[in-house]
Amino acid sequence: MGKYKSVFDIIGPIMIGPSSSHTAGAVAIGRVGHILIGGAPRRADIHYYDSFAQTHKGHGTDYAIVGGLLGFAPDDTRVPEAVEIAQKQGMTLAFHEEEGPSPIGHPNTAVVDLLGDGGRVTYAACSIGGGTIEVRRIRLDGCAITPSGLLPILLVERDQSENDGGGWLEQMQDRLQEAGVTKQTRYESGDRPGMTLYDFDLDNPLSAQMQQEIAGHSSRMIYID
Amino acid sequence: MFSSIAELVGMAQDRGLSISDIAIDEEMRRYHETREEVWAKMSKNLQTMKSAVDRGSQGKGVFSKTGLTGGEAALLEHYRKTRTSLSGDAMLEAVVAAMATNEVNAAMGIICATPTAGSSGTLPGVITVLKNRLGLDDDKLIRCLFTAGAFGLVTANQAMIAGATGGCQAEVGSASGMAAAAAVEGAGGDSSTCAQAFAIALSNLLGLVCDPVAGLVEIPCVKRNAIGTANALVAADIALSGGVSRIPADEVIGAMKSIGESMPSSLRETGIGGLAGTPTGKRFRRTVFDK
Repeated sequence: MGKYKSVFDIIGPIMIGPSSSHTAGAVAIGRVGHILIGGAPRRADIHYYDSFAQTHKGHGTDYAIVGGLLGFAPDDTRVPEAVEIAQKQGMTLAFHEEEGPSPIGHPNTAVVDLLGDGGRVTYAACSIGGGTIEVRRIRLDGCAITPSGLLPILLVERDQSENDGGGWLEQMQDRLQEAGVTKQTRYESGDRPGMTLYDFDLDNPLSAQMQQEIAGHSSRMIYID
Repeated sequence: MFSSIAELVGMAQDRGLSISDIAIDEEMRRYHETREEVWAKMSKNLQTMKSAVDRGSQGKGVFSKTGLTGGEAALLEHYRKTRTSLSGDAMLEAVVAAMATNEVNAAMGIICATPTAGSSGTLPGVITVLKNRLGLDDDKLIRCLFTAGAFGLVTANQAMIAGATGGCQAEVGSASGMAAAAAVEGAGGDSSTCAQAFAIALSNLLGLVCDPVAGLVEIPCVKRNAIGTANALVAADIALSGGVSRIPADEVIGAMKSIGESMPSSLRETGIGGLAGTPTGKRFRRTVFDK
């Protein structure tokens, strides 16, 4: 299976110019942070590598990532003003042009470090072209998660002390069968003892109904699509 | 899901369908959507393309914040209407639409990425000709967009579509191949002729580097799309006349991939080499960023 799945990854997205990988893809990278932290962060440190470091100013990558952090879509006309909007809301922003190679091996890389009401989240994502992105590293709740990259990514936390008669994982796998799990990894939370986190990398999107069902059967669910 | 052009054409031939039918069916199957839902999304993309073309070509056109690009689609449109052009009306209508779209993109207006924002003018240029010269209605144009998308999916999955990974050949080159295939379906050609046009168009732009002045999607992107759309129309005409690409489409994609991988980073959307590295290119960089 290739990295691009939908004809609308190619014809689309509808977006504010000027660059699909550095602007629309950057909005998508910011949006991952919005989802991971459950809203707009209080502080964001954005580290650029390679092509992103060289051209972020000209391509509007700064406001695009911040627009995503605010939860805007790539065709939201507020995207070019996102930095000012975020600062008015009290978000602290810092952009860093890194000189070394990308830690995830792609020229369009951003490492985003966020502080929000729910704690700290760090992730590394790259924009692979045409607005499509990959998320290759996530640090959340003391877990260093390494998804295979492509969205959708489903993160599910489960409290080990909860007793449901066993078979929780098997039931989860049954539910995810149609979405096609391409990779499944289990992590023990360093910050929250007794909590287990599962990363399910999916081939197909989850319906809203399925997301609700999974949320109802876990301590916490994060769905990045 | 088709993973090669040969497979895509084979699916269309086996089932007696067009490339656009295959793309629509695949989208419905994967995302559990109805034909109407899938169709409505592509229709919105078409309307976005048309709006950008209108915005960039009417009146004095649009201008980017930096002042590096803008207004030239409108100039060309005026020239087309008032003078006897060298390239002819259909060709210039395509080029006006392509440049208009990329001028809107550079001015941070709304466009539809096809497959990228930097190459967003190439396909609308061809669509404009299919509409004006062949009289295709919206339903037929939407089909052409699905065809373009199917060829783009294979290209993106087998090679790349980002200037940062493969140079401009991966953006305007891919867009030109996609647009050539779309033009052939719009003109009534069969699926294998679509593949011929795609291969010819992409072959013609192999090796094209991504060297944006000051790292901006302005110079040379706007006029690269003029060439992308013109090249697509020429390739489609060659294929429709019976001309063929002696190198099969999938191998042309493979060539693009290996060329992209061997391109130095300075020529892959870093704004360092090529036109960006000329004395004038560097001067523009300073005037844009060191105000």
